[in-house]
Amino acid sequence: MSQKIINKVDQIITEIGSSVNHAIPILQAIQNEFKYLPEVALKRVAETTDISASRLTGISTFYSQFRHSPVGEHIIKVCIGTACHVKGATQVYDAFKRELKIEGASDTDTDKLFTVEKVACLGCCTIAPVVQIDEVTYGHVTTEKVGDIIKDFKSKDKKLATKVSNIKKTNSAVQGEIRIGLGSCCVASGSKEVKEALESTLNSSQINVDVKHVGCVGICNQVPMLEVHKPDEKTTFYTKIKPDEVSQIIYHHFKSEKPIEKIKAKLLSSFEDYVISDLPKSIKRYNSDEKSSPISEFIDSQVSIATEFRGEINPSDIDEYINLGGFDGLRKCINEYSPQQIIDIVNESGLQGRGGGGFKSGIKWQLVKDAHAEKKYVICNGDEGDPGAFMDRMLLESYPYRVIEGVLIAGLAVGASKGYFYIRAEYPLAVTRIKEGIEICKQKGMLENNILGSDFSFDMEVFEGAGAFVCGEETALIASIEGNRGLPKMRPPYPAESGLWEKPTLINNTETFSLVSWIIKNGAEGFSAIGTAKSKGTKVFALAGKINRGGLIEVPMGVTIRSIIEDIGGGIPNGKKFKAVQIGGPSGGCIPAELMDTPIDFDSLKEVGAMMGSGGLIVLDETDCMVDIAKYFLSFTQDQSCGRCTFCRVGTKRMLQILEKISSGKGIMDDLDKLEKLAYQTKKGSICGLGKTAPNPVLSTLKYFRHEYEAHIKGKCPTGKCLDIIKYEIEDSCIGCTKCAQRCPVDAIKSEPYEIHSIDNELCVKCDICRQICPVDAVKIV
Amino acid sequence: MQRNCKEIKSELNQRQLKMIKLKIDNKEISVPKGTSILEAAKELGIHIPSMCYLKGYGNHPSCMLCMVKDKKTGQLHPSCAYPAQEGLEIITNDAEVRESRKDALELLLSDHVGDCEAPCRIACPAFMDIPEMNRLIAAGKSIEALKLVKEEIALPLVLGYVCSAPCENACRRKAIDNPVSICQLKKHVALADANSDTAYLPEKEISTGKKIAIIGAGVAGLSAAFHLTKSGFACTVFDKNEKAGGALLNTDQPKELPSEVLEKEISILEKFGIEFQLNKNIDSKSLVQLKLDYGAVIIASGEFNADLKESFGLKLNAKNTGFEVVDGFFTTSEANVFVCGSAIKVQKMAVRALSQGKAAAYFISNLLKSGEEKVEYRMFNSKFGKLQTEEYSEYLKEAISDNRFEPDKELDGFANEMAIEEAKRCLRCDCRKPKTCKLRIYADEYGAKQKQYQFGERKLVQKIYTHETIVYEVEKCIRCGLCVDITQKEKELTGLTYIGRGFDVRIGIPFNESLQKSLEKTAIKCAESCPTGAISLKY
Repeated sequence: MSQKIINKVDQIITEIGSSVNHAIPILQAIQNEFKYLPEVALKRVAETTDISASRLTGISTFYSQFRHSPVGEHIIKVCIGTACHVKGATQVYDAFKRELKIEGASDTDTDKLFTVEKVACLGCCTIAPVVQIDEVTYGHVTTEKVGDIIKDFKSKDKKLATKVSNIKKTNSAVQGEIRIGLGSCCVASGSKEVKEALESTLNSSQINVDVKHVGCVGICNQVPMLEVHKPDEKTTFYTKIKPDEVSQIIYHHFKSEKPIEKIKAKLLSSFEDYVISDLPKSIKRYNSDEKSSPISEFIDSQVSIATEFRGEINPSDIDEYINLGGFDGLRKCINEYSPQQIIDIVNESGLQGRGGGGFKSGIKWQLVKDAHAEKKYVICNGDEGDPGAFMDRMLLESYPYRVIEGVLIAGLAVGASKGYFYIRAEYPLAVTRIKEGIEICKQKGMLENNILGSDFSFDMEVFEGAGAFVCGEETALIASIEGNRGLPKMRPPYPAESGLWEKPTLINNTETFSLVSWIIKNGAEGFSAIGTAKSKGTKVFALAGKINRGGLIEVPMGVTIRSIIEDIGGGIPNGKKFKAVQIGGPSGGCIPAELMDTPIDFDSLKEVGAMMGSGGLIVLDETDCMVDIAKYFLSFTQDQSCGRCTFCRVGTKRMLQILEKISSGKGIMDDLDKLEKLAYQTKKGSICGLGKTAPNPVLSTLKYFRHEYEAHIKGKCPTGKCLDIIKYEIEDSCIGCTKCAQRCPVDAIKSEPYEIHSIDNELCVKCDICRQICPVDAVKIV
Repeated sequence: MQRNCKEIKSELNQRQLKMIKLKIDNKEISVPKGTSILEAAKELGIHIPSMCYLKGYGNHPSCMLCMVKDKKTGQLHPSCAYPAQEGLEIITNDAEVRESRKDALELLLSDHVGDCEAPCRIACPAFMDIPEMNRLIAAGKSIEALKLVKEEIALPLVLGYVCSAPCENACRRKAIDNPVSICQLKKHVALADANSDTAYLPEKEISTGKKIAIIGAGVAGLSAAFHLTKSGFACTVFDKNEKAGGALLNTDQPKELPSEVLEKEISILEKFGIEFQLNKNIDSKSLVQLKLDYGAVIIASGEFNADLKESFGLKLNAKNTGFEVVDGFFTTSEANVFVCGSAIKVQKMAVRALSQGKAAAYFISNLLKSGEEKVEYRMFNSKFGKLQTEEYSEYLKEAISDNRFEPDKELDGFANEMAIEEAKRCLRCDCRKPKTCKLRIYADEYGAKQKQYQFGERKLVQKIYTHETIVYEVEKCIRCGLCVDITQKEKELTGLTYIGRGFDVRIGIPFNESLQKSLEKTAIKCAESCPTGAISLKY
C-alpha cells in the first residue's frame, strides 16, 4: 500500500512541480487521490521536494480542505451558511450524526460509509437548508427528512452510475430553442435532472430543438426553469419543474418527427386546455410580456452590468460572447488607449472595489502602474468565503470571459504580464469554466503572446484555494499562492508596491473585474451615471433568508433595502414580519427594520454599522434571534481566524464564549460591557480585515437589539431559537396520536394512545422533529 | 579608477539609506527607509514593550503588545512591523495604548496555562521558595538549600517542628498521591545546619549605624530582628520572660517543640548579632527612654489583652483587640514606633507571625534608609488551579513516582538519602523563567488580571521533556512563532511548525517527531528567545 502511495505521489510531483509554491496544489492532488493526506505521502513530499516537513505540516493543518484521517465512502456536507443557519442547519447536522450513529468528535460512521461534515457555504442559499452527499444536493432539508434522504441517496447511488445523456442530432429542421440555467444552485435544485429528462425526451421523440445551457439566471427561487423560444411564439418560462413534467412541456410546444409520437402530440395539442390545467401544480408558466409575473418583478428593478446577458448567454461559448460585444473593451484598450488613459477611465467611472473595502480601483491601478519592476502581477480574488454569498461564484461560472477580459484590461493598464485566478476549491464549476475559458482564449489569440495582434502579452493561471476564509484578505491570498499558510501581512507595504513574490501586484475582486469591460465600452460617464453621488455603478447581491424571491440580483447603488426586499424579493414569506437584514456577512452588520429606507451604498451602510462586504444579503424575520445571529457569525470568524494577532485569535474566542454564556441564559449584565469592550479592542488591535471587522455583527446587534441580549440574560430567548435556553412542551390540544413519540430519536416523549403526551426535557435533544410532524401543532417551544 | 568605485558605492549606499523623518512622542528622528517604529523609538531611548519581536527574525506581529498610535488617524499599529513613514507622528504611551496593551496581555493570560510560582510557595505566608529548596536538596546541596530558606525564614528549625505547613496542603502532588514532605525537608536542612559547628549566618548589608529595639522575643519579633540585622541595623530584643520564644514557650505540647531546639536556634540568632535583653518588662515609661536610645521601636508583644497588657500609650483599633495601624503598614500613632505580629491581630500560625516580622522589617528598613513607605511587593503571578487527572502524568515527568516518606516526628527527621529521595518527588510546578518571562514582567507592569477574560474550560497542560537541554510546555506558549522562525532561518531539518489555525493553533513538531530531532542546533536559541516559559532550559 505505502509503495503504491509513494509511486502516486512521485507521479503527482512530476506533474505539478517540486518548489515551495507547488505545496498546495500537490496536497490537493494527493487528497483528490486518497480523499485524505496519508502521512507516508506527506513524508515523501518532504523528502523529494523543496517543501520542508515543517512547511508541509503548517500548510496542511491550516487549510480546512485538508484531512489527515481517512473518510467514509461518501461525504455528507451539511451547509451551515447563513441562510441555512437561520433555517435550522445545525439541527440538521446533528440529525445526520444521530441517524448514522456517529458519536462525539468522530465524523464517520462505523461502516465507513458516510462522513458528515459542516461546510461554510455551498452557495445554494435560496433552497436552504442544503445538504450535499457527494454530487447529489438536497434542498429544504429538515431534521425530520434526514432518514429519507440517506435512503434516497443509497438508492440513487446505483442509478447515477447508469445514466447516459447525449442528444443525437437528427436531420430535420430545428423547431426552436430551449434554454436551461445550469449554475451550481440550479443544479442543486434539480436542473441537472430536468436537463437529462429534456435530452432523453428529445432523443426518443426525435424533436429537433436546440438546447442551450445558460449560466445562472439569478431567479434561484424559481428554478429549475426552462425558457422556450420558438420563432413564431412569445417566449415562455416554465418554473419549478420536475423531471417527469418535462415531456409534457416539450410536446406542448414542439412536434415529433416520429409517426407514433406525432399522433401522441396531436392528441395532446388538441386537448391543450386540458393539458395545461393538467400540468402539476408546481409548474408555473409565464409569458415574457406578462407585467406582473414573479419573474418580471424580480428582474425589472435590476440593472445588469456584471450580469449582462444573464439567462441568454452560454457561459462556455466564446463566439457568442464576442458576438455580443465581448472583448471589444480589450480591443479598444489595445487600439485606442494608452495604459494611463485606461486608468483614467476607471478612475473617472468612480469604480470602487467590490470585495468589501470599497477602495477606489483607479487609485489602486495607478499605484501598480507607477511601481517600478520588471514583473508585475494581476490577481482576481475569487476566494469568496462568506457564508451566504455566491456572487463571485456565479460570475465566474456564468461569465468567465467577461472576468478574463477584465483581468486582461487591468494587466494591460498596469503593465503586468501574468494573472492569477484565486478561486475557492469549493467552487468546482467556476474553476472548470475559467480553466476552460483560459484554454479557449489561448486558442483564439486572446492570451499569451501578442494578444489581438498587439505587442501586449499576458498569461493566466488558476490557483485553487484550499478552504480558508482569511485568504480572501489580499496579503493572505498572496501568501497562499506563494505556498504558505494564509497569514495576512502587515501593510504597508501594500501589494501594489510589494505583493506576489515581492512584486507589484494588483488584486481586485471578481465582481470588480467583471465591470471593467462594460466601463471601457460605455465610457466612464456611462458607469458613473448609475448609482449615487459617491457610490457608482451597480452591486451584485446574493439575496436569501426569509424572503419570497431569493436569488442573485444586480442593483444600482443607492437602491433602498426596502426596495430590494419588497420589490425584488417580494417580501417576507408566511406572513411573518420583517425584522432585519444582515449585509456583508461576517464582516457586516444587521440593519433593523426601522432603517429599511437606508440606501445601499458604501457610506450609508458604514454609517448604520454594517458594511457592503462582498454582497451577502440575508433577510431575517421576527422568528430570528439576533443573539443567535451574532453568535453564528462570530463562531464563523473565530473559526476562520488565522490565529496570529492576539485580539483575533483569543479575543474572538472570548467574545464567542461570552455570547454562548448569554445565549444559554447564564450571562450577567456585566458581560455585555465586557463583550462590547473586547469587540472594540479586537477591531483596533488586529492587523487584517478579518479581525478588524469580525466584531461588526456583535456591535451592530448590540446597537439595535440590545434588549434581546438583556432578555437572554434574564433567562428568555424571545424567539425561541437559542437551544440552551428553550424547552419543548406539549399542549393540551394533543390528540394522543403518538407520532411524535415514535419519531423521537432519544425517547424523550412519554406517550399513551389518546392521552396527552409529555416531553422529558432532560432527555430532549431539541431536534424539533416532534414539532414538525405534530398534526395539530400541539408541540410548542417555551 | 579607485575613486570611481568609491563614488559608486557611496551613491548606492545613499540610495539604499533613504532617510525618513518622523516624530515619536513629539521627538523628531530620521531613520533609514524600512526601519520599524519600534527600532526608531529605541534610538530615541523610548522603550516599547514587545514579546514576539526579535531583531533579524520574521517580522510578523502577533502579541500586539507593541501597539502604538498614529496621532493623525488615531489608529493603533504594532510598532515592531509598522514601518517608519515620512511625516508620521506616533504616540507610544497614552491611556488608549496602555489599555490596548493591557487587554492584549489579559487575553494572552486567559489562555496561558502555567504557574509563575508554585502553588506551595504562594500558600506559604513567608513566600519561601519551596521548589528551589527541593531541587537543591535533591541535588545534594543541603547547605545551599538552607541558605535559600533563610532568605525568608528566620527560624527554619523551629518551624520544622511547629509549622502547620499550609504549603503541603497546596502541593500539587497531593492530588496524585501525597504532598511532598516540605516541612520535614526544611527541618532536615535546618537541623543539619544547627548541629554543625559553623551554622550559616547570612551576609549583612553595610551597617546603617542605626539601632532598633524590638519588644517581644516571639516569632514575629525574632523574625523582624533577623531581617533588620541582615539589612544592617543593630537590633536589641527585649522580653519580660527569662527565655526568648514568646508564645513558643507556652506551647501546650512541649513534646512538639523540644526546648533545646528553640534554644539552639535562638543561639544562632545571637551569633548573628542580635542582642537579647531578657527579664525586661517594657511599659509606656520605659518606652520613652527606648525611643530616645533607639532609631526605632517595634512592638511585637504578642496577643493584646486590654486588661492585662501594656498599651504603651498608643491608639488601639476599634475593637480594642490590638494596636491601630495604617492598613498594610506597620506605623502606629507614635512616630518611629512600629508594631507587628499578634499585637496587630492575632496570628494563629507561627509562620504567619514570622512572615509579619519579615514584612515589618522590610517596611521599617526602607523607611529608615530612604524615607520611603514601601511594603513587600509580590510580582504578578499566573496560576491555573487544580491539576486534572489527565495531567498527572505530565507533571510526573519531572518527578520520581515513589510515595511520600515521612520520618518519625520525634526523631531527628530525614536521613540524608531519604531527604534527597523525598525532594525528588517535587513536581516542579514553578516556572523556569520566573524572572525573565516577558509575559509576567509586562503583566506586572500593566496590572493585567489573568481572570479578566477567562471563560470556559482551560487547555490541558502538556510538558515535552524529551530533549536533553530544553523543556517545552505547550500551553504556556503565546503562539508568537519566534521559535518557528528561528528553526526555519537556521535551517533545522525537522524544526518546529504551526499546527492548525485560529484559537487552536499550537507550535508542534512535524510528523510527531521527537523534540530532540526537531531542535538539533537551535534548542538554546529557542529557549532564550521564547518570551515566556514555554520553551526553557532544563537546568
